[in-house]
Amino acid sequence: MAPNIQAKFQLILQKKLKYTSANLGFNMLINKLQRKVASDPESMDACLKEVDDFAAKFPAVVNADFAKIAAL
Amino acid sequence: MLVSFDEASALIRAGKTLHIAADDSLLSRLPTGKWIGGTTPYFIAESGGVLSKEKLYVNELSFAEDAAVAVYGKYNIFQIVEECFENGLTMLILPYGSKVAEKYAREAPYVEELLLHPTVGWVSGHDLNTDENAKVYDGTTGKSYSDKAVAMYLKLPEGKNAMISIVNIFEDDKADPVITFDENALEVTRCRVNGRETDLAAYIRENHIDTQMPLVADCNGVYINVSVKSVGDKSVGLYAPVFKGIEYRFATRVSNYVEELNGRIAAAGAEKPVFSCNCILNYLYGDLEGKKTPLYTGPVTFGEVAYQLLNQTLTYCEIV
Repeated sequence: MAPNIQAKFQLILQKKLKYTSANLGFNMLINKLQRKVASDPESMDACLKEVDDFAAKFPAVVNADFAKIAAL
Repeated sequence: MLVSFDEASALIRAGKTLHIAADDSLLSRLPTGKWIGGTTPYFIAESGGVLSKEKLYVNELSFAEDAAVAVYGKYNIFQIVEECFENGLTMLILPYGSKVAEKYAREAPYVEELLLHPTVGWVSGHDLNTDENAKVYDGTTGKSYSDKAVAMYLKLPEGKNAMISIVNIFEDDKADPVITFDENALEVTRCRVNGRETDLAAYIRENHIDTQMPLVADCNGVYINVSVKSVGDKSVGLYAPVFKGIEYRFATRVSNYVEELNGRIAAAGAEKPVFSCNCILNYLYGDLEGKKTPLYTGPVTFGEVAYQLLNQTLTYCEIV
């Protein structure tokens, strides 16, 4: 994940920035990770790794999300 | 597409990879082949919502490079995340009222890596005027099950991904009370309303809540429904579990189901769903018989699977 997107994703996982994907699975992942970060702020790096894993697995789906997140 | 028994049989004999929904009297007579199926006599066809025991709804899964079928019980259902194709789509059918469906409903949200393995499907059912058992079929053997789930693993071409989406006509009003639960449950007595411990059945009665409207949870801007099955003196039965730690509200009232559904479908903008299903509660409460929801045709179901079990939701999948 590019540094500018990662920085924005940190804010999304902290619920300081709002982003809803068109992809249900990605929204479910974001929701799950937001709860994880809320209960354990130190899990942020592990959560970002999960986002990376998801993006690597579903590039056809997530690339459009990353472009939109970069523009936020 | 809705087809005759002879047409479905011909597709099977031609070696097509198929997902089939139909009444048990038809599924039980189909030839063996590369298919899975589930029972329901309700469909959203191209011509609109219909109850039919003469036709079968068939999806040709021609996008798949390879396919495999497996049957699971409640003790091994989550092997689906291990046995699927690395880049694939899992189509899952669970029989209504079975232990395996309950296990899936309760535990799917907690299964590690489920979100890395797109899983779409439905809960099979029956004619509501009968008390038949809901069944699933493994078409490779022709065997049916009312206590097991059937999965079809579909391998996708390189560079293609499965994208699962939902159309949900329900949403909440953030000014309404927040309802939370202290434990995961399909049958609820106590809940917390804005943090205060309350009897849910009494709360529903006292506030004249229309239980055709589900409980909804905001999942990063997408609403996940939990539909109310029954309200007893002391307890409330649900079609999907509520989960501890999740905030729910009762959905705001929908005045025109079909108008709302078609508006949301237009906004969803899917071009070519390879699979779609819609909930029996939408069919009943929305009076969808004879009404069209273009593009989104398929079985009418007793629950929808989009990774986890959903209620009162149109679920679909595209290959992108």
